Amino acid sequence: MNGVRAFVCGTGIVSAAGEGVEATWGALRRGTSRLTPLALFPAAHTPPLPVGEVRDVPEVDGLPRTHALAWMAVRQVLAATTLTPDALVLGSTTGGMPTTERLLEAGERRPEAYRHHAVGSVAAWLARRLSCRGPVITVSTACSSGTAALKIALELIRCGQARVVLAGGADALCRMTYYGFHALQLIDPAGARPLDRDRRGLSVAEGAAFVLLVAAESPPVGALAELAGAGWSCDAYHPAAPRPDGTGALAAMRAALADAGMTPAALDYINLHGTGTPDNDLAEARAVRALCGDPPPVSSVKGLFGHTLGASGAIEAVVSALGIHRGFIPGNCGCRIPDPALGLLPELAGQSRPVRSVLSNSFGFGGNNASLVLTAPLSAGPARPPRPLARFSVLGTACLTGAGPLEETLARYWRGEPFSGRPDLAAVRTEIPAGQIRRLKRLSRMVLLLALAARQAARPPAAPGGIFFGTAWGSLTETHDFLKKLFDSGERFTSPTDFVGSVHNAPASQAAIFLEATGANVTVSGGDHSFEQALYTAGLVLRAGDPPALVIGAEEDHDVLSPCFDAAATADGGGAFLLDPRGGGTGPDLVPVHFAFNPGGDDGLPALIESLGGAARIAERFGAVFVGLPAGDRSGGEAQLERFRRETAFSSPVVDTRRFTGEFAGASAVAAVLAVETVRRGALPPALAGGEDPRLGGRGILLLGLGEFITAIEVSAP
Amino acid sequence: MEGFIAELKDKIIETLGLTDVRPEDIPVDGQLIGSELGLDSIDVLELVMMIEKDYGVKIENREVGVKVFASLRALAAYIDANRREKDR
Repeated sequence: MNGVRAFVCGTGIVSAAGEGVEATWGALRRGTSRLTPLALFPAAHTPPLPVGEVRDVPEVDGLPRTHALAWMAVRQVLAATTLTPDALVLGSTTGGMPTTERLLEAGERRPEAYRHHAVGSVAAWLARRLSCRGPVITVSTACSSGTAALKIALELIRCGQARVVLAGGADALCRMTYYGFHALQLIDPAGARPLDRDRRGLSVAEGAAFVLLVAAESPPVGALAELAGAGWSCDAYHPAAPRPDGTGALAAMRAALADAGMTPAALDYINLHGTGTPDNDLAEARAVRALCGDPPPVSSVKGLFGHTLGASGAIEAVVSALGIHRGFIPGNCGCRIPDPALGLLPELAGQSRPVRSVLSNSFGFGGNNASLVLTAPLSAGPARPPRPLARFSVLGTACLTGAGPLEETLARYWRGEPFSGRPDLAAVRTEIPAGQIRRLKRLSRMVLLLALAARQAARPPAAPGGIFFGTAWGSLTETHDFLKKLFDSGERFTSPTDFVGSVHNAPASQAAIFLEATGANVTVSGGDHSFEQALYTAGLVLRAGDPPALVIGAEEDHDVLSPCFDAAATADGGGAFLLDPRGGGTGPDLVPVHFAFNPGGDDGLPALIESLGGAARIAERFGAVFVGLPAGDRSGGEAQLERFRRETAFSSPVVDTRRFTGEFAGASAVAAVLAVETVRRGALPPALAGGEDPRLGGRGILLLGLGEFITAIEVSAP
Repeated sequence: MEGFIAELKDKIIETLGLTDVRPEDIPVDGQLIGSELGLDSIDVLELVMMIEKDYGVKIENREVGVKVFASLRALAAYIDANRREKDR
């Protein structure tokens, strides 16, 4: 293949405007708000606020509402195509929360009741249903999740990792978000009025949308649009408020246009994030004015659908693709008198006119910004040769384990002793004044300590641009404290601080503030393979010449929630790397090689072995295998390992890393740090070599992750 | 009023987890938000919740909030006045 482009060849959508493209199209043409007073659950103590609620969500296998909404959109895509997705990327923030919050309130403690809690469980359930054996990624960057998902999908195609990607977003209404935004005083009691002079906030909503993204050199028959480019940035400014001057938003828009090889003058329409909060609309208007001297038509559709959080970027991508395909610019529903302070006039009513290119914005808590560019599917376009995943040289490492930070952990490791447990964070020295980290609870504090230590370890010092963070469960303390206060007060009081801290991307975006890391800030989630997912995602999006990036995996063990969500957990902590995407430095290289969903069995093993270049290459390159066998599917993992040994006849030591890291979803990040340190030393701790020669013989270590995903990371010797 | 101000100082330290702040570090008449204490908009909202919960006084929008949180003395006076109004 000479070059690769990504075309939107199918869509599925569900929102307060109804199910399907035609219902959505009708609502866009009419341009009247679909917001209605909350009916899904009783609102305590206040009149129900206007929300964007989906009517008649069918019961799907007793699954949480987010999963059901996602399925409503996915089945539309599947019904209209003969293609089978070989990868899946989902943006979401709530995951199983609509069900979880009810169960927790009722005092349910049985882990099986929570098996669909994780934000990553939506994509995993869809992938299982679709028998997808390729990359399955869940991105959770608050309200930019849906747009970030399409960015990752585009890079999967550009890296040749997938040919047909199902990408989108899904989020359901729940009390967590309804009361959370209420506590932040970010809800407009009259319904969202984006860009209006009298706007007072957003309207929380739910929905899901997916696009089928197909790799091709020229537009396939039936292509609606081309995903020409996408970009992201981090404000590194505040956990909830946007950078007032709009420079963070501007950076994401510029990155998307540069990625598409376009200038602002070529845009026919900008689909604004336009939530209706005073601060967002002001910062975004400033950014748009700075981007385009003479802006094209702009509008926000959040007065129509409400703010569907992690789904909004995907919903607006579908709206934008429809706009291109059918020649239509949606009106800015809800805006009566445009705010003169914005200096930006939205299209008040929808209008039919040709649209060849759209920039669509999404900005989230933590200053996580993402923008994408969709264009008409023209036959001539900038096809580029597929590029490989990035290869990283390790500039700095850090970890936190039951033994403490890296030095203390290594002391135990070299003696061959386990170090499972919970790190005492109060004992970790840091130069940051207590007042500045007072709001960071356990996971956010761990991630900040890891990020600072990994940066500190680099010689010479190097500042990270991007941060890629993997977590299965997110900030459990904030989630617990928020819900407890809500339930204990009869839904009267909550903590706005805990709400802001509870989003999965809070730890990485808070670390970005301290490190002034304004590049991509990406939080992904996928159970015990969340760290591998973060490294793989970094490998997809970073290229040689980009600034160094932090890649972090961490998890917290919480007394109440961990026994419900991850009953096997015995420890917490994590690991972090400062990585240079150039590769080939003086230290070991860390190379994401393979990342695939495994819906069961060991059928995924041959593809893994092939990615690694076959049995002979594996023996030649690796002096040991570090394998992560999560307790959730230990017997399945062991069967996969057995097949790996059989088919490769691997004869060097195989180390079961969870025996010394302890059992928790971030264990593989710690194992990766130890693998790097082991390769630096050139030999395993003798106690771990199982009686075999502990020396690596100048070779590297292969990090395998088995179970629900099959993953491989190469730690290569310099 | 001075007794109430002292009470509020303790509440602020507890609610916002200001472990390295002593009550005498909190200015009574000076600016409360954006001062050396490092308090921001989220802290204001956290205090709004605390004030409603502990004193039954609602502070519902930004315009009111800006005036009420101008200083600790202004905050104490606002809570005191509205609490009394309710008790009457």
